[in-house]
Amino acid sequence: MDKEFIARGVKRCSTGKFLLWIVPWAALLAFGLYAAALVLVKGLNQTNMDNRFAFGLWIFLDLTVIALGAGAFFTGFLLYILKIGELRAVINSAVVIGLVCYSGAVCVLAVDVGQPLRAWFTFWYPNVHSMLTEVTFCISCYLTVLAIEYVPIVLKNRKLREVPSFLVFEFELHKLIYVLAGVGTFLSFFHQGSLGGLYGVLRGRPFAFREGLAVWPSTFFLFILSAAAVGPSFVLLTTWLVEKISRKKLVKPEVFGLLGRISGLLLSVYVIAKTVDTLIWINRTSPESGFPAAQYYSWQPFGTWILFAEIGLLGLVPALMLLSPKLRAHTGWLVAAAAMACCGVALNRFVMTVQTLALPTLAFDRYLSYFPSWQEVGTFLAVVAFGVLVYSVSFRYFQLFPSERELKMQVK
Amino acid sequence: MLPWNYGFQWNAGHIIFLGAFYAVLATVAATLLRAGIRSRRDLRTRKVEHIRWHSDFHDLPAQDRVCRHVLTGEFKSRECPHAFDCRECETHAKLIERRPVAEEEIFGLVFPVSRVEVLAEVQAGDEEEFFGLSFPLNRMYHRGHTWAQRESDGTVTVGLDDLASRLIATPDAVTLPAPGSLLEVNGTAFHVRKRDADVRVLSPVDGEVIETGGAGQGWYLRVRPTANDERAFRHLLRGAEIRPWLMRELERLQLTLSAEGAAAPALADGGLPVADISASYPKADWDAVCGEMFLEG
Repeated sequence: MDKEFIARGVKRCSTGKFLLWIVPWAALLAFGLYAAALVLVKGLNQTNMDNRFAFGLWIFLDLTVIALGAGAFFTGFLLYILKIGELRAVINSAVVIGLVCYSGAVCVLAVDVGQPLRAWFTFWYPNVHSMLTEVTFCISCYLTVLAIEYVPIVLKNRKLREVPSFLVFEFELHKLIYVLAGVGTFLSFFHQGSLGGLYGVLRGRPFAFREGLAVWPSTFFLFILSAAAVGPSFVLLTTWLVEKISRKKLVKPEVFGLLGRISGLLLSVYVIAKTVDTLIWINRTSPESGFPAAQYYSWQPFGTWILFAEIGLLGLVPALMLLSPKLRAHTGWLVAAAAMACCGVALNRFVMTVQTLALPTLAFDRYLSYFPSWQEVGTFLAVVAFGVLVYSVSFRYFQLFPSERELKMQVK
Repeated sequence: MLPWNYGFQWNAGHIIFLGAFYAVLATVAATLLRAGIRSRRDLRTRKVEHIRWHSDFHDLPAQDRVCRHVLTGEFKSRECPHAFDCRECETHAKLIERRPVAEEEIFGLVFPVSRVEVLAEVQAGDEEEFFGLSFPLNRMYHRGHTWAQRESDGTVTVGLDDLASRLIATPDAVTLPAPGSLLEVNGTAFHVRKRDADVRVLSPVDGEVIETGGAGQGWYLRVRPTANDERAFRHLLRGAEIRPWLMRELERLQLTLSAEGAAAPALADGGLPVADISASYPKADWDAVCGEMFLEG
């Protein structure tokens, strides 16, 4: 039925099958939108957050998806600025992943902040001393950039490119895409850093507080580095997943290897930096604040295991796996390492958000536990469903993997 | 530009932060604007066909973008930097200057002159069979499977080569440009429909359509070329280039048919291409096959 919208030479499932695939996700999205609407209409009393536990599932989700979505800016930077041409095979997919991640994050932030009619206040009355202002500015700007980068992918659709103005605009915009890649890199660099800096400047939360360089705490740089490290891993992981679900070869094995190698190199640097940062924090920053670091890990379930899991099991181990050419050559190990790296960054964001707020900081304070309400979980699931839907539609109608046609022949 | 922000003060922090923000917005807006202006200019200067081809060429698999001199073994590997328009190619000009067509390439005759001059010596009707396909040597061939034949009155006749004719056989529909229409090299010459395939056939020449033919007449268009010198036809394949090119094309066809779920015979199996290849592969995705062979995106 929709064959003329599907790229020539690539096979996609029937329209019926595709509808069957998207209906459950659409239902999940509808459920999530209902949950989000409840929060927007009735307020944050629909959540299990309070004045003491002001960051929860949503901020954890935001930080994680923004880190995972870093594949878009970093792949663009490597391809258009550093001219690593092999990454052309995944750049469109990376852009869609970035768009999904950032638009999902912005939507959840809008629900979390509330008062959507006053959203423009942040631009009109900016607090130039706030990391959050930088985050808001950069994320909204970068989302705009990603939306513009998505335009050529849409206009390249087989049917749409029959319209001459679409064809030439796509062509001309694509010629200038390196400018957008540069802007995207600049914006991503700063907002990833600002998200990290947000925690690093919390003097009242010695678990998160870090020293740093000039006005930037070390978490500023660690967030940039970790996002750049796992971005390619997430692109690798999603590409592999799409290959498995669609049962098609989409990129050459060398591209998987290259993404793994880039991720491994950056992850190793991150693990070293994170280890040094943690040692400085344990031995100097935290004691100077009056808290021996061991104290933070006396509250269960956040024992020292979480620190070792984050840096060792989900940091060092995948970094070594990704750096090993032998393991990289084996898809199973490569994908496992990429998945571990992604889990590692998610755990880091969880620790920085949830553990930081759970720990008591004053004598009369107590250790808090938090469990999200169904409305929070629903909104979280809406973002997942939205991502799957946008990616599925993009995969069906747009050329996310330019090598697919060529690889189909090679497979045969 | 900054003071319109609430609470703005003329200090370094405010200027740097807001300056960076507005610089980013300005860059993004300027990029969009520039793309828009360029697009408008392209539409006005009728560059749509040129852009369509460049976009399609860019999307071709790397092995399909190879230089014609790779086909003849003069290079081991080289991607065509001019999107199959050798008229602007200095490398091509140097190579044909340096290597005139050799004896064995044209009926054992020695012509130590340029290729076009050799063609002038070839009589109409001289033809050679390559793998069971007829490719008259007085014609020049485009890599999108059209041929161009220079007529004595200065016009050029355009048709589908034998491989393309066998892929299309009797077309379900043909859409030809009206006389007076302008064609450009690698732009759309005409459309042919066969089964589910709507094929955009690429033009081998620049010029104005003066007469239209059809599948039954053996030719599709008669064109008055914009230029009639050697350079205007330099991008077309001829003589000794035909065999290696065709060999690669048959290999490509075989691969495409296999990829589309048809058990295609290999060259090593022997045999000759049938008159209606599509009839032999009723289940194959003919749109994909034709798209591949006619260099469509």
